[in-house]
Amino acid sequence: MNLAHIHLLLNHFPTIGFGIGFGLFLVGLVAKSEDLKRASLVILFLIALVALPTYFSGPAALDKICSRLNGAIQCPPGVSLTLIQEHEDWALLAFAVMEVTGFFAFLGLWQFRRNPKLGGWNMTAVLVLAIVTFGLMSVAANKGGGIRHPEIVSASDAAADQAEERSPVARAIGSFVISKTWVWPACETLHFVGLCLLFVTVLLVNLRLLGFAKALPFSALYQLLPVGILGFAINLATGMMFFLAAPQQYINNIEFQRKVVFIVLAGINVLYFMLFDKAWKVEAGGDAPMSSKIAAAISLYLWIGVLYYGNMLPFLGNSF
Amino acid sequence: MDFLQQIEQTAFATWVRESPNILAFPSILLVHTIGMGLIVGISAGIDLRILGLAPAVRLAPLEKYLPVLWLGFWANAITGTMLLTADASMKLTNPDFYVKMAFVALSLINLRMIKTQVFRDPLINTGKFSSKARFLAWTSLVLWLGVITTGRLLAYVGSSGSYK
Repeated sequence: MNLAHIHLLLNHFPTIGFGIGFGLFLVGLVAKSEDLKRASLVILFLIALVALPTYFSGPAALDKICSRLNGAIQCPPGVSLTLIQEHEDWALLAFAVMEVTGFFAFLGLWQFRRNPKLGGWNMTAVLVLAIVTFGLMSVAANKGGGIRHPEIVSASDAAADQAEERSPVARAIGSFVISKTWVWPACETLHFVGLCLLFVTVLLVNLRLLGFAKALPFSALYQLLPVGILGFAINLATGMMFFLAAPQQYINNIEFQRKVVFIVLAGINVLYFMLFDKAWKVEAGGDAPMSSKIAAAISLYLWIGVLYYGNMLPFLGNSF
Repeated sequence: MDFLQQIEQTAFATWVRESPNILAFPSILLVHTIGMGLIVGISAGIDLRILGLAPAVRLAPLEKYLPVLWLGFWANAITGTMLLTADASMKLTNPDFYVKMAFVALSLINLRMIKTQVFRDPLINTGKFSSKARFLAWTSLVLWLGVITTGRLLAYVGSSGSYK
């Protein structure tokens, strides 16, 4: 089992899984079923999480098929590099919009805690974003499938391979980050700003459940979640800049792989708080139940783990 | 050999800089980063609350987090000094370092003012904050951003750039 296997295994989730979540969302809207809508938001959020390792393992799959010689990528006969690069670009666009969809799905689950009727602008945003994601994802999946299945590649796509190499979006962003000396430090600075915002949210919510500053009811602290989401969004965006600039540094870096796994687990942990009611019943001065305390301790462990692996990227791994 | 280079040549500074041990440079930097999360994170949380975010969170209980913030501060004062010894001749001749220290000093004065004037305000639990409190919250956010930015730039501006 290598990273290419992981890419081939995971890529079914953002495609088929997203389709299922999107379909369920549409049925929920038509049937006006709050349960269905909520379930579909959970699926869309989870799919956005799984999309992280799916996207990040893509360049590893490329390295398994093709080889690099003096910076030029050479693919075996029958494998179209143009098709791979087009797949990468469409996947990047689909990934970007899918993450935004995931954020809004999460926001919907969050609002549900205040108002058990899902609706309004947030559901409209999820609907529009999901349609766009679905369209982009279909193209990305189609191109990706064609890489190892030349029998399904259309004549026009095959002809495109003869044309000059295009400048894919991913490479354009990557070379922008590398060529402008201020971009990398600026992204690092923002990455630290996002870290602080996410860190304080994680700290306040979980330490409260563990019994610190008990005067605050848990349901009040839920209002901090947009701060945490903003921090995570900043760090995902700036982190993507680093990844696009030098994917080779990250894909084979075990610390990076662990970091991505921890982010996915931390996201699932957040979902636990969104879905289960126990923590939400913790009033001012009240003691949290043991299950919430365990979840809070796990949350702190996972986020500090994310920070740890990020910090160790250049030392235990080969990143700069 | 001048004084700063003598600091750099001490066994301790050499260990921080050159030891392949994970407990040397990488872990010192890790603690420095976690300390930053505690200081700036908690401070920013208080600032954002004063500015109207999360209205259901009462500000008064957040005072319990100030000792946690100070824990982060002392952790960073210690780890910061350790990192400084490893690269003393570069860092201590780098204007950016002094700009960062100025931002740190101003941030701490600002934090002190928030503690004495906002947390001690008898109207703290009414949830309405004076324009002065809001002003202090904004300056706090800007000053901490200055600390982070100048801190990050230390790896780029005027130094050998060997530590990022």
